Amino acid sequence: MSGPAKADPGPADGSRGAQAARWVDADGVHIDVRGLAAPAPLVAILALVATIRDATAVIVHHERDPKMLYPELAEIGWKAERIDAPPGEVRLKLTAVAAES
Amino acid sequence: MKLAAGAFLAGATSRLLPASIPFRYFGAAVAYHLLAWIALLPDAGASPRFTGGLGWRLAALHLVTLGVLVMSAMGASLQLLPIATRQPVRFKRAPAAIWWLYTPGVGAVALGMGTGAALLLVAGATAVAVALLAYAALIARNLLGAKGMPAVTAHCWVALASLLVTLVTALSLACTYLGAPLLERGTALALHVAFAPYGFMGMLVLGLSYILIPMFALSAGPDVRNALLSCAFAVAALLLAAAAALGVVPPLARSIAIALAGVAVALHLLLMRTALRTGMRRGLGRSFRLVRMAWALLVASLIVALGVALGAPMGGIATLFGLLVIVGWLLSFLLGILQRIVPFLGAMHAARGRKPAPTPSALTAARPLAVHFWCHVAALALLALAILTDGARLAVAAALVGATGAAAFGVFFAGVIRRMRRPPPPSQARVAQIA
Ligand code: HEM
Repeated sequence: MSGPAKADPGPADGSRGAQAARWVDADGVHIDVRGLAAPAPLVAILALVATIRDATAVIVHHERDPKMLYPELAEIGWKAERIDAPPGEVRLKLTAVAAES
Repeated sequence: MKLAAGAFLAGATSRLLPASIPFRYFGAAVAYHLLAWIALLPDAGASPRFTGGLGWRLAALHLVTLGVLVMSAMGASLQLLPIATRQPVRFKRAPAAIWWLYTPGVGAVALGMGTGAALLLVAGATAVAVALLAYAALIARNLLGAKGMPAVTAHCWVALASLLVTLVTALSLACTYLGAPLLERGTALALHVAFAPYGFMGMLVLGLSYILIPMFALSAGPDVRNALLSCAFAVAALLLAAAAALGVVPPLARSIAIALAGVAVALHLLLMRTALRTGMRRGLGRSFRLVRMAWALLVASLIVALGVALGAPMGGIATLFGLLVIVGWLLSFLLGILQRIVPFLGAMHAARGRKPAPTPSALTAARPLAVHFWCHVAALALLALAILTDGARLAVAAALVGATGAAAFGVFFAGVIRRMRRPPPPSQARVAQIA
């Protein structure tokens, strides 16, 4: 699976359909939830995380700090780390805690 | 930069309202919940078929509506709407100031109603009204910048407009007892009973449900067109109910308004059912048993409202309607959602500094919630029976069981706060290590 190198941030009003773009790169499975209205980003990210059975990381492209995601991630034993991103984007790397220990 | 979930959340909290804001609203709601059940006791000898007027039963009713429903809805919306609408928190001090005005105001309203002190009632009502207008201004500012959530914002706008009707009629009703009503009492009461529970609280609850239910069930957002259609039917129902209350359309219009509200509710519940059926999270537990019960009683409240509108010959039917809409629907729903939201927000806030964030489930004590659930259901059933049989002793039993449930809910709430402050168990400490 491979996808756009640069995801479409959606229309100017900030809204987009309920679809999050996903693609695979060397550093993990990417998901772009920019432009989705709450709670679609949370649901899309957790749906992707639920499909991962190994140590693959999930890279999230977000337009804001997904505050509601963290309690949900902690609940399923995953953690988030913020990684470098272009201005205006919040990029997170999600990994399973058990996969690291 | 490499942070674990808990520690990263600490960075995120800087753009959140401090935990003390939502938690002071929730704490006050928990205390007023207990006081509401206790307030049913002083007039326990009287017939449970309440027919209006000042007294401790009206005080108990408003301890629930203002003290629990509006209080917790304010706490949750002030915290969640800026996140959901992607808006910064602009006036950071306002939510605390509003709480300081609103909370004693509710106490004064209840005391004024209970003791028949009309001046105290009017003073409390004025404080409550000013606080709610300030709250409305904060929410309106937020909604103006909301992106991509038309159904939620449409419902919230209708709720804010209904709040204005609620406040005008509330002040008018309170002033009736000073001998200076703004509107004729019957008209004000008819508007108040439609616009306060259904228009203000109801539309707020239906609108926020389009975020909260998919968020807890982990499902896709509901179909926006159907959610807006539901909103349109609700608006039509409220406008027709208002016209009937003002006497500009024949009384039959009340029944048509209730039928329109029925369509709005049916559409809403279909969307909620889809969200729950398609959600990734299936076991939603006891909190959602309360939510499902609340939805069933919302439908029941409309059926009984139709009975009231058509003059059904059944003793206590108007009181039964009030019980179903306020306790059956709104209180059950709010308490169901509150027991999920409090630990969730607790987990969001608990990751201060570099401490790991506890999970929502680690903050939740199940046993007090089980006690609360059964007491709430039993108290509701006892009150309904008391109204149907006109049995004063059953109402006393309901008050005592309800108070036990409210105390258990208080234990749950205190437990969340205690656990938020406690250092994490070693198994969790690993999750939040700074790499
Ligand atoms: C400033 C806030 C409020 C004040 C001062 C207030 C005041 C009053 C007063 C004085 C009455 C008694 C009318 C009478 O019998 O003469 C009344 C009735 C009622 N209020 Fe409120 N109210 C307020 C807010 C609310 C809210 C937010 C709700 C619901 C969410 C609500 C629900 C009701 C209901 C259902 C009744 C009818 C009771 C009955 O006679 O069966 N009120 N209110």
